[in-house]
Amino acid sequence: MSLLDTLLSGQLLFSALVTGSLYALVALGLNLVYGTMRMLNVAHGDVVMLGAYGAFWAFTLLGVSPLLAAPAVAGAGALIGFALYRGIFRRLLAAGAGSAGRLEGNSLLLFFGLSIILQNVAALVFTPNNRAYQYLGDVVRVGNVAMTGNRIAALAIAGGTCISVALFLRHSVAGLAMRAVIELREAAFIVGVDVDRVQWASFAIGFASAALAGVLLSMLEQFSPFSGFPLTIAGFIVIILGGLGNVMAGLLAALVLGVIETYGVALTSANLRSVLLYGCFVAALILFPNGLFAHRKAGG
Amino acid sequence: MGARSVERVWLALLLVGGLGMGTLPFVANDYVVGIGLTLLMWLALTQSWCLLSKMTGYVSLGHVVFYGLGSYLVVVTWQVVPLPLAVIGAGVLASVFAALVGLPVLRVRGPYFVILTFGLAELVKYSITAIESANGTASRILFGTPDIVFVYFAMFALAVVAMFMLAWVSSSRFGHGLRSLRENEEAAETLGVPVVRYKLLAFVLSAAIPGMVGAVMALRSTYFVASQVFDPMISITVIAMAILGGGDGTRGPLLGVIFLCLLSELLWANAPLLYMIILGTVLIVFVLLVPDGIVGLLERRRRAAGTP
Repeated sequence: MSLLDTLLSGQLLFSALVTGSLYALVALGLNLVYGTMRMLNVAHGDVVMLGAYGAFWAFTLLGVSPLLAAPAVAGAGALIGFALYRGIFRRLLAAGAGSAGRLEGNSLLLFFGLSIILQNVAALVFTPNNRAYQYLGDVVRVGNVAMTGNRIAALAIAGGTCISVALFLRHSVAGLAMRAVIELREAAFIVGVDVDRVQWASFAIGFASAALAGVLLSMLEQFSPFSGFPLTIAGFIVIILGGLGNVMAGLLAALVLGVIETYGVALTSANLRSVLLYGCFVAALILFPNGLFAHRKAGG
Repeated sequence: MGARSVERVWLALLLVGGLGMGTLPFVANDYVVGIGLTLLMWLALTQSWCLLSKMTGYVSLGHVVFYGLGSYLVVVTWQVVPLPLAVIGAGVLASVFAALVGLPVLRVRGPYFVILTFGLAELVKYSITAIESANGTASRILFGTPDIVFVYFAMFALAVVAMFMLAWVSSSRFGHGLRSLRENEEAAETLGVPVVRYKLLAFVLSAAIPGMVGAVMALRSTYFVASQVFDPMISITVIAMAILGGGDGTRGPLLGVIFLCLLSELLWANAPLLYMIILGTVLIVFVLLVPDGIVGLLERRRRAAGTP
């Protein structure tokens, strides 16, 4: 099969879709936490990593299917997010009100500390080795595209979750409150939005979706305690391109990133995967120094 | 104690410490000299980091990129270019790189700057990894490197220069300009501070030392793997040391470096993962509870004890 055939086949497109939908799910949680609190959670990918371990141990030790374990792992993620918000970040937000720049810098360092701790605790407890397991590995053929069951499941769940959250944000009252806080926090507070509740909910949903992304990831590829960071970076690219609080645009941006990565690697070599990812990241930040959503900030 | 006697005690301690470090290779064994070298390395890196990040508030999480580039230059030109020239060239290369990327990168502010510098360093790391593996030179070994005493004194000189550079910038008109843009960039610009030029200059100045430090450390490790000389943990450790120390002078970084070096000496060899966990915890505790660092703590204590 020539290179051109490979590029035109549905196989690559499917693979790009799966990668993209995972990126979208990872970015979803980052987006909510950054949007409502202006905190860049660089430990986000490490929550994904922990979710992957959750599914791995449930499958290998207890024999529980990852799809069944997913709600429990996501719930645990939500609890951790809630606890972190109540334990550390609420106080930081209360203390830092007014000096937004410094708060962002400080919260970033906090999350970095958290990220280092999570990675190394995981390496200490789970060993630094790569882990993987076989689940739903059967090949399904549609036309001339071969798809494994686990990839189809990951695509469906990640895409479905993103679309549900997008609908929740658009159509429910709680979602409206969340969007209001994302756009103008002070104004939302003045018109009576319970900002504190929106914030802990964002933390909980953010961490739950990260843990869920981890479960899906663990079904697809091998992972280690240090697998999280590249995912955080991918999530940041998606937020920068897709815009703050805009889950649907984020989904689109994630798919574009998935396409760039998958086709880029197919055209060059697997060694260049990280170069492509970080290249997109640096380019996105330099082209949009304040993110694509700068105009919204200017209004406030 | 009054402010002036504190200054004097500080200066005396610095002199004694400097003399001690200067005579170390003649009285101690290689193991101890190695520890001293590590301490000097972190000192040089952290002081140079402060020149940009403490002075301007642009927190760089990519300081390692200059270190890695410096290492790479020495390794690539090994036994082709005379060593002193290569080391100086490493500083120049790092500064030129900073000057080239500086304008677009320094337009990005706040947390975006932090992650951008991180991403940039990782991009360079993976690019060089790809180049090296395409060339079939994924890991290189240096033969005939100078002995540790030479490496030690080269690093000693770099650490001293880095401290003087920060001390000079900190007290200069340029430094006051940097502080003003840290507090409020728009206001500083309105008052006539050449914001863009100052930021860029600070970035370029802060790049030279880590470039040369990386070059010298390549002689110490005698081999080159891109993922090691561009290890993001180097950047993170530098930030942890600077935050731990606190302040925007030379004192804070010095105290932070000594504290973390001792900690790592205790833990690194036996329990590297535990060391990293403690490093993360230290970062969190200091940001939350001691944002002014050790220097801030000492200052507060002095004020509490001093006569009103």
